[in-house]
Amino acid sequence: MYSKEEIFKAISTVKDPEVGFNLVEMGLIYDATCDEDNSVLVTMTLSTKACPLHQMIVQWVKEAVMRELDDIKVVAVEVVWEPEWNITMADENVKEKLSGKMGKEEKKDIWF
Amino acid sequence: MAISQEFAPPFKLIAPYFVIGVIVYVFSVFFLFNFDITLISHLDSSVLSWIHFLLLGFVMMIIFGAMAQLVPVVLEVGHFAVELYYIIYPLLFIGTIMMVAGFGFSPQLLPYGGVVVLISLAIFIFETFMTIKRVKKFNLVMTSVALANGFLFFGLIFGLIMALGYAGVVSVDISTFLNAHIYLVFIGYVGITIMGMSMVLIPMFWLSHSFSWKPITYALWLISFGVVSISLSSIFDSLYLENTGYFLTLIALFLYFYQMFIIYKTRVRVENDIYLRSIVFSYIAMWISLILGVLYLFIPSQTVLLAIGWLIIFGYVTFIINGHLYKIVPFLVWFERFSPLVGKEEVPMLNDMLPRRSSNLQFIFSACGVILGFIGILMQNNELFKAGVSFLFIGSVFILKDLIYMIRFR
Repeated sequence: MYSKEEIFKAISTVKDPEVGFNLVEMGLIYDATCDEDNSVLVTMTLSTKACPLHQMIVQWVKEAVMRELDDIKVVAVEVVWEPEWNITMADENVKEKLSGKMGKEEKKDIWF
Repeated sequence: MAISQEFAPPFKLIAPYFVIGVIVYVFSVFFLFNFDITLISHLDSSVLSWIHFLLLGFVMMIIFGAMAQLVPVVLEVGHFAVELYYIIYPLLFIGTIMMVAGFGFSPQLLPYGGVVVLISLAIFIFETFMTIKRVKKFNLVMTSVALANGFLFFGLIFGLIMALGYAGVVSVDISTFLNAHIYLVFIGYVGITIMGMSMVLIPMFWLSHSFSWKPITYALWLISFGVVSISLSSIFDSLYLENTGYFLTLIALFLYFYQMFIIYKTRVRVENDIYLRSIVFSYIAMWISLILGVLYLFIPSQTVLLAIGWLIIFGYVTFIINGHLYKIVPFLVWFERFSPLVGKEEVPMLNDMLPRRSSNLQFIFSACGVILGFIGILMQNNELFKAGVSFLFIGSVFILKDLIYMIRFR
């Protein structure tokens, strides 16, 4: 059996290619449980319903859990839209970077 | 909602649309060197030839390519027959070239070119409607796709009648159908498609949440009534219907911009990238053209009309298309080339695939070109106009170079 933290750590290896942050720090993973048979259930959302990577991201989450944690038999992923994702669910570093609070060098890099 | 991987068309199917579209854009900007801004009128055969080359070969080509990818995303179902897209672009390109020749120097080619374009667009509309038929529950975006394609169909019919008339095959008064044709295709299809796609793409890229959709809902219906009103005004020769159509369109566009402003204000991704800059520039250009449009209603002048056309085509449509290319192309290439490697090896992020310096140069040159060309048209100064075209041409070469860079990214 694995704890919620261990499953979250496994999922944090999956990055959203559009924004460059992992799914856990984006706040997209709502919950994760593992029963005695080592079956994992992940409850997550996406930043938009129109995400063209919907099924791929679900697949990556499953693969990450299987890859990072030994003896996992089954991984099920439930995508929910309630509560709707918003930026307050993300980690502080994600909020800062998305809101444009960046260093001088990074700002310079925007143009050239 | 679940967009399955198998719904996504292969990149080799979409890439030709973007490559042909951007090459046509480069050539159409180059052809602007032939125009003397002090002498032309919007109904000159050379202008008609050029405008069909740009709108069919660039605008429609890119929109159709994007729709191959976006239709399953917004309709939440798979394509009816995505393979049909393999024949749409060659037919559209061949038909466009024939129409350009028809307008330019060989009128007898015009109906044949028109028919080839008609077949190409009819296949596109057929495929889209058969895909729409699979939708169980309609939302606003799906409605916009259905409306836009309906208007495109009628725009095509008007266009074909005009092409037959232009070539002398049938006897019709072309000017009767001109307004309806322009409005149905340019506002009814291109405008509503951009409106509908904005509802999906802009909040997605800016991570905007928790805002009201009311303004764009009203905008969609008002612009649709506007298009119908102007189309009917062409048939019944009614000034009242025509003015009602213009008025409804103006209100709709203001509501659309208000919606975009709301999305902009609620965005959490404050990234001053090529996408944001292109979108902001395009909206500013559209705003100025709207103001000039109101002015034109009171002071009808050929110079103002050309300036409006310039701003809408190069300031608004081109910037909104090119801005989206910098988002859509890296995604498609990444999806095809790198997504199977996720979890197996280090893969680039979408941002890494952008030619940052080159895309910024593209923006600067294109923006300078639009502004200089606009001033040149307003002042009826051919040298200034040509200076603008020179900047625009360099910008167009950059967009082609950037497209190739993104497609070949490994």
